[in-house]
Amino acid sequence: MGKRGQHKHPLHVARIVAQLFFLGLFLFLLILTARGALATASPRLARLFLDTDPLVLAGAALAGVFSTSLLAALAVVALSLVAPRAYCGWICPLGTSMDIADRLLFRHRDRTRNVTPRLRQAKYGLLAALLVLAMFGLGVFGWFDPVCILTRSVSVALYPMADQGAKAGLVAAEQHGIGGAAQAYDWAVGNHLLVPETDLKKGGGDRGYAVGYTWAWVFAALLVAIVLAQAYQKRFWCRNLCPLGALLGLLGSASPLRPRVRRRCIACDACRQACKTGAFQPGHAPSAKEGKHRYTCLVQECLFCYACEREFCPVDAIRIGSGRPAPVRPEAQVCPGRRAFLGAAATGAVLGPALLLDQRTREKEETNPQFRPPGALRPEEDFMAACIRCGQCMKACPTNALHPSGVENGIAGLWTPTFIFNIGYCDYLCAVTRADVDAGRTGRPANLCGIVCPTGAIAQLTHADKVQWKIGTAVFDHSRCLPWARGEECLTCEEQCPLPEKAISHQTQAVANLEWLKMPQDKRNRCEELQGRLARGETLSADEQKELAALPPKTRTLALPYVLRDRCTGCGTCENVCPVDGPGGIRVERLQTREIK
Amino acid sequence: MNHELTRREFFRKAGLAGAAACAAWAVGGCSGGAGGEPAAYRARAHPMADAWKARIGLAQGGDDPARNTRAAIEKLCGPDGLKTVIRQGDIVIVKPNIGWAQVPDMAATVDPAVVATVVRMSLEAGAKAVKVFDNTLGSGSKCYEFSGIQAAAQEAGAEVSQCAPHRFRMLSFADPRVKRLMEWPIYEDVLAADVVFINLAAAKTHNASLVSLCMKNLMGIQGGDRGKMHQEIHQNLADLNVVIRPTFNILDATRVLAQEGPGGGRRDFVVKADTVLCGTSAVTVDAWAADPANLPWKKGHHTLAAVQHIAWGAAAGLGVADPGRIEVLA
Repeated sequence: MGKRGQHKHPLHVARIVAQLFFLGLFLFLLILTARGALATASPRLARLFLDTDPLVLAGAALAGVFSTSLLAALAVVALSLVAPRAYCGWICPLGTSMDIADRLLFRHRDRTRNVTPRLRQAKYGLLAALLVLAMFGLGVFGWFDPVCILTRSVSVALYPMADQGAKAGLVAAEQHGIGGAAQAYDWAVGNHLLVPETDLKKGGGDRGYAVGYTWAWVFAALLVAIVLAQAYQKRFWCRNLCPLGALLGLLGSASPLRPRVRRRCIACDACRQACKTGAFQPGHAPSAKEGKHRYTCLVQECLFCYACEREFCPVDAIRIGSGRPAPVRPEAQVCPGRRAFLGAAATGAVLGPALLLDQRTREKEETNPQFRPPGALRPEEDFMAACIRCGQCMKACPTNALHPSGVENGIAGLWTPTFIFNIGYCDYLCAVTRADVDAGRTGRPANLCGIVCPTGAIAQLTHADKVQWKIGTAVFDHSRCLPWARGEECLTCEEQCPLPEKAISHQTQAVANLEWLKMPQDKRNRCEELQGRLARGETLSADEQKELAALPPKTRTLALPYVLRDRCTGCGTCENVCPVDGPGGIRVERLQTREIK
Repeated sequence: MNHELTRREFFRKAGLAGAAACAAWAVGGCSGGAGGEPAAYRARAHPMADAWKARIGLAQGGDDPARNTRAAIEKLCGPDGLKTVIRQGDIVIVKPNIGWAQVPDMAATVDPAVVATVVRMSLEAGAKAVKVFDNTLGSGSKCYEFSGIQAAAQEAGAEVSQCAPHRFRMLSFADPRVKRLMEWPIYEDVLAADVVFINLAAAKTHNASLVSLCMKNLMGIQGGDRGKMHQEIHQNLADLNVVIRPTFNILDATRVLAQEGPGGGRRDFVVKADTVLCGTSAVTVDAWAADPANLPWKKGHHTLAAVQHIAWGAAAGLGVADPGRIEVLA
């Protein structure tokens, strides 16, 4: 911290307030929209941070996807034309998280010697490669977009962990008889601050009620890694890797507004050392100190945090204002040259076909079919282009049914949403409320995943369309289904099929009676002998009749369930409630999802 | 002891104190906590439970489920109504069927006016608190909202909360009359000593158990994987009713889900019957209601004899399965 740190620039104070406000807003909206609580009331708020992300706009546009709500990002574009990375310094919630962590963890750490001017160029290469991949119809830039990163990590990992932690605390307090704990639990669950367990797993208890996602640890670890990389450099991610930062920097590279270093600069290096992104570099112009060059600020790297003007410089040489940029020495040039750009783009152009081929081969293999949310663009290639892997749909899904894919269907499909029906199911009502039903409102979007999707990769569907959307088709596994495989009664799947015209029905049939099979052979013989005599028209004595009545019959009638394929939408409720442990006796498969009703 | 506590020292001391507390809890507290004495069903029996085993109260007609509810209870219990069992300061548990996210017209859940009336009558009889819950099938929030029961019960003065998984306790089903079930997690509110447990069912058909009435409604206090109840469902229901015998049973047949139960979902499955009945035996109430002569079930859907869980419940001495032997106070 410089010697003049006592008086902060008013815009520095404003910047801190803005950062805390936007991070708070991000988390507030995330909690309110998790599992759809607010999404129906205000879809735009639910998507706010993703809708205003210029990288999402650019990537989606290059992938041939257009959604009017993404035009909100033009506001950030306009801001960046004037103050290139002010978004990163003032708004980006990932950036603010890093600043907070930096202050808590690395405040006294000396990182002044970790200067890596070449590494900075990586983000431009990453941006170029990702945008080329978007042109190939792969929306994988969401893997690296900071808003996507935070949305995903918080909704898929941190929020469920906080939910579990809070509940564990309240449950422990309740079980130790601490007054008010049970009431606090009921209140929090009743008001959706904690996830109501009864919303998640039907039948539930012993198979786990908690909201949770597959691979959540990966998302938590990624966020931790991004934050801890600051042990090496402040805002390590933002300076070196962030493709959104690169895009905003490029947009504003001609901006007249920038920190300007005046002639009195003594080239003491204090500004470069204190600056979050190390945006200051020795330039060409002479400085007040003999034989040294005056510093200059790389505007594409400046976060406009307003700390430098009053706090860093011992001789008060920095002013943020407009003017022509001072020339930068070639070795300090941040933005890579045309050659490097072309190289990165070419890498993308090689990776694109490779990823597409990988994905199509794995899809053909069809051992791990992916089940896309209702409204997901079809064919699959369109979905892969429009989906930015942000995790919004997983966050909003009220039954915790949507999860991030692994690489089952190719590397490019990583973190796209897929159903896991053993965990959740596509809820018949989803976004529909009692008020909608009472008022007869049928035109409102009813799929929460579509409502919160920023790019329209999942289209918004009315309730009538949503409940007819075919995700897959349920198929009985006769080697596992209880009536078929074990001769036991069940029909749980038929009971809970949510369609008014149920897609599962049953027929009673005579099947082997297990009680008969348990009988020793001599008793079976005796039973058959008595029955045979009855069949031949002989009369049995009273004792023999009694004896026969006490013996179990050879067959019993049992209700055997069937899927009525044309009605089934593959919502997965049956698979979810099937009492067979492990893979259910009825499972959703991707049979005839496109061609035939 | 003259130096100030540094942060490092504070954390060290706090950590030690915390570790000691955890150890103490692990040694002593754990065993005395939730896992203490084995759970038992100890709800109060109605004082007339044996005398009224073959008796039901019945109210039919009109278009007022609240009035029918009150009338049915008073037909059976006399003008004292629920005062025959509820004493000043009692805790009353009301378990309506809230199992489905359907509006009341779909007849998949109990009419909210019936729930509200039972809550009001319990409070009038002197109850300190009335708790309303159900372990729903679909989303609990949606079921509570769509059925209208949460709003109606709260307005009548009840505490409505969703089932929480940590509040189920394993109950042993050790009883010579129990044939299949060994143990099952049961909601702990119902297991509290001397509570008044009111079983409030809706009249529905059911794809596996043929009908879903008072005996089947008890599945809403069960936790665990209830899908497994469907394996030999009639015997399981009889077993459940041997162990759990509600203080009072009310069946709301204001609307009858005459086919495609228990979920329903279409208005043409529903027949208006404007009937409420009650009794101290779930089996007796169910036997009257399951009889196709008494309620407008879809023609040929079932015969009373086919509903084995009622017959087996009666065989276990829980009530009367023969409608001819039921004394109807109407």
